[in-house]
Amino acid sequence: MTLLALKNVTKTFRVNQREVHAVRDVSFDVREGECLAIVGESGSGKTTLANMILGLFGATSGEIHFRDSALPARRPTELRRQIQFVQQNPLSALNAKRSVGASVRLGLETYRIGERAARKAAVEAALEAVGLEPELARRPPGALSGGQRQRVGIARALAVEPSLVVLDEPTSALDVLVQARVLRLLNELRAAKKLTYVFITHDLAVVRNIADRCVVLKEGQIVEMGETTAIFDDPQHDYTRNLIRAVPVVDQTEVQLRDKLGRAND
Amino acid sequence: MSLLSIRDLSLSFRGIHGVTEVLHGIALDIAPGEKVALVGESGSGKSVTARIVLGLLQELAAARIDGEVRFGGEDMRGFSRQQFAANRGTEISMIFQDPTSSLNPTFIIERQFAEVIRRRNPGASREDCLRIAGEALAETAIPDVERVLASYPFQLSGGMNQRVMIAMALVNKPKLLIADEPGTALDVTVQAQTLQLMRQLTDEHQAAVFFISHNLGVVREFADRVYVIYRGRIVEDGPTEAIFADPRHAYTRALMAAVPRITGMGLPDIPERSDSFDAPQISHEGGS
Amino acid sequence: MRALRIIVRNPMSLLGLILVGIVVLSALLAPWIAPYPDHNGAVVDFLNNNRAPSLKNLMGTDLVGRDILSRIMYGYQISLVLGVIVLAIATPIGTLFGLIAGYRGGWVEIVLMRIVDIFLSIPPLVLAIAMMGVLEPTLTNAMLAVTLMWWPWYARLVYSIARGEREEGYVVAAEVIGASTWHIIFREILPNCLPAIITKMTLDMGFVIIIASSLSFLGLGVQPPTPDLGSMVAEGARYLPDSWWLTVFPGLSILVAVFGFNLLGDGLREALEVQS
Repeated sequence: MTLLALKNVTKTFRVNQREVHAVRDVSFDVREGECLAIVGESGSGKTTLANMILGLFGATSGEIHFRDSALPARRPTELRRQIQFVQQNPLSALNAKRSVGASVRLGLETYRIGERAARKAAVEAALEAVGLEPELARRPPGALSGGQRQRVGIARALAVEPSLVVLDEPTSALDVLVQARVLRLLNELRAAKKLTYVFITHDLAVVRNIADRCVVLKEGQIVEMGETTAIFDDPQHDYTRNLIRAVPVVDQTEVQLRDKLGRAND
Repeated sequence: MSLLSIRDLSLSFRGIHGVTEVLHGIALDIAPGEKVALVGESGSGKSVTARIVLGLLQELAAARIDGEVRFGGEDMRGFSRQQFAANRGTEISMIFQDPTSSLNPTFIIERQFAEVIRRRNPGASREDCLRIAGEALAETAIPDVERVLASYPFQLSGGMNQRVMIAMALVNKPKLLIADEPGTALDVTVQAQTLQLMRQLTDEHQAAVFFISHNLGVVREFADRVYVIYRGRIVEDGPTEAIFADPRHAYTRALMAAVPRITGMGLPDIPERSDSFDAPQISHEGGS
Repeated sequence: MRALRIIVRNPMSLLGLILVGIVVLSALLAPWIAPYPDHNGAVVDFLNNNRAPSLKNLMGTDLVGRDILSRIMYGYQISLVLGVIVLAIATPIGTLFGLIAGYRGGWVEIVLMRIVDIFLSIPPLVLAIAMMGVLEPTLTNAMLAVTLMWWPWYARLVYSIARGEREEGYVVAAEVIGASTWHIIFREILPNCLPAIITKMTLDMGFVIIIASSLSFLGLGVQPPTPDLGSMVAEGARYLPDSWWLTVFPGLSILVAVFGFNLLGDGLREALEVQS
C-alpha cells in the first residue's frame, strides 16, 4: 500500500539569473510502514526533496501524492499533522528560550489536540516514549546533551501521532555511540507506532542498518533505487559504489565487501 | 624519545555549580612522525586534552591543570602565553571539523597563507609567500592553484577548503599536527579523501599527528596507535591493529559496536552507563 | 536572578547599578527627601537667590532662590518619565516592524525597511527642532519628537536578529508543524530578541535623557518653571564662571544618569550573553 508517491517532481531555483535544477524528474513510492532512505552527497537535492514533502515549498512541476490524493499547495491541518519532521542539527532545532515541554506541545496546540491537562500528559508520554524523564519538560534545551535534544526533536514529531516522518540526517551531528542509541530508538518506535520513515542521509552504513529500500540521488536525479540489501550486494552505479566504499569500516567482513566493490570499479 | 609526552594530566573547571573534574590523570605519548588517535565521545575530555597541548586552556582562570606535558623534551608547564602562541602554527598546527568556517571569510586564501608563513618567517616577501603557498597547495593535488589562492573561502567547495586547511597546517613544517574530527562536517566521500591526503602528506613531511575522533572506524586506517578515553580516563591503548583485532575493554567494545556496519549487522543495544566501562586501563604491547 | 549576580560581580556594572539606583530613588522619593520639596515650581525667594553651595543649600540656589539639589531631584523625575514614555512607545513599534520585516522577507521586508531607512536618514536633532518649530514646545510634543526618531533603531536591531533566526531549525520546525505567523513571530522569535532589546533600552535611557536635555537647552523642550536638567544648564550658562553651581551641578547630574545607564547596559549585555 503506497503512502506517499512522488510523480515526476522537478524543482528549479533561480540563482543570480540562472536556473538551477535542484531536483530533476524524480519519481518514487514510499510504502506504508517502510523506512525509505534518500541517499546522496551535499548538492544531490535530497534536502530539497524533503522540504517539498514537508510542504515548505512546492514543486516546479510534478505532483506529490499522499494516500492517493495530490498534496495541495496550502495544506489543511489534518495533512500537516500526518507528515512530521526531525531535523539534523539538535542545537538549533529547539528554541533556546522556550522549555522543552513547550516545543513538544506546539503541535498539540496547533492541531488543537486535547485539553490543557491532556496535553501536559501527552507531552510527558511523548518524552517517556523516547527514553527521557518527563521532568525534562520544564527545562530549557540548553540543559540537555546533543543526544537528549535529538530525542526531544523525535518526541515533538511523534507527539501528534503522524503517519509519515521525514528524518533529515537525524544522527549525523551525533557521536557514534549516541547515534547507535538514537537509530535503535527510531527503529523501535517505527515498529511500535506503525510509522513510515523517509530517512535522508549521506551515510550508507546507517542506511544499510535502518532502511528497507533506498533511493540514491546525484545532482538532483535518481541514479539507483531498490531494496537496500540488493543495492549493497550489487550496486549498479559507480556513484553508489563510491559512497559505500567511503564509509569508515571496523571489521574484516566489511573490508572484504569494500574490496569486492573496489575491484568491480576498476 | 617522545615528541609529545603527557603524564598524569588532570583538569578541573571551577564553575557556578562547583568544581567539575574533566581529566583524571591521563598519560599519552606521541613519537616523532607517529600518528596517534584519541577516541571517545563528546565530554570525554579528548578535545580539552588537545587544547592543553596548544596552551589554550592555561589562560582560563577557571581551569586548574595538573601534571606534565612535554613537547620535544621541553616541559610546557613553564611556557608563557607568548611561548605557546609562538608554538601554534609553527611547531604545532591544527585542523578543525569544518574547514569553511575555520578560514577567515573576509580574506583571500593567498593572504591567509602569507599570515601563516610569516609566523615562521617574518621577513618573507609577497613573492616568497606566493611561491611557498603555491608549492604547498600543489602537494594537495589542487589542480588550479592560482585560482584557489585568489579566492575567498566561500567561493570554494568544502572539500577544496579542507585541502587548503591541510596545506596551510603543513606549510611551516610543524612537528605535530592536531586534527580535531577533520571532515566530519563534510560528505563521507570528501572525508575519506581528506584522511587519505592527510596520511600521505604527513608521511612526506614526517609530521606526527594527534587525531581526535568519536568514531573508531575513522581512525582504523589512519592511526598507528589508538588511545580510548572515557570520562577523563584512558581505558585502553595500543597499536591500532591490536585494538581492532582484540578490543579488551568493555567501553572500547561498545564504541566499536556502535559503528554501523556496511555489512548490515543490525543496531546494537548499548547501555548509557555500565560498571564495566569504569574498569582499569588495558594496554596492548607493541607500537612505540 | 543569575543575570543580577553576574552584574554585581563586575565592578563597572555594579557602579552602573548603584548610579541608576541613586537616580531612580531620588526621582521617586523627591517629594519626601528633597530638602525643599516646594521648589519644583514657581517659587521665588529673592533673599536667598544665587547662593553658592552651603550646608543649607548643598548645591547652592538658582537665580530666583530655589534649591538646586531639590530641583535636580525633580528634574530626574521629568527625565525618567520622558525616557520611559519614549521607550515604551518606540520599542514596541520598532520591534514589531523589525520582527515582521525580518521574518516575512520579500517585498514586506523591502517596504518596511525602506521606511525605516528614511527615518534614519534624518538627523534626530534637526527633526526634533523642525517639529518643535511647527508644534508648540511642550513636554508632550518633545516626547513625540523624540519617539519619532527613536523607533527605527529598534526596528533595525530586531530586524537583524529576526532575519538570522528565520533560518534556525526551531523556526523551520514551527513552520512545518503549521504554527501561525503570529505564534512564530511572538512566541518563537521575539524571546530570542529580548536580551538585545532590554540591553538597548537600558543604554537608551541615558541617550533619551541627553537628547531631552539638549532640546531643553535649546529652549525647545520642557518649559519653565518645570525643573528640567537641560534648561537649568542653559539658564546657568550665562553666569559662568562666577555662579558655577548653576551649571555644574545640573550638568553633573546628567552625566551621572547617562553614565550609570551606560554602565548598567553594558553589564546587562554581558550578563544576558553569558546566560544564553
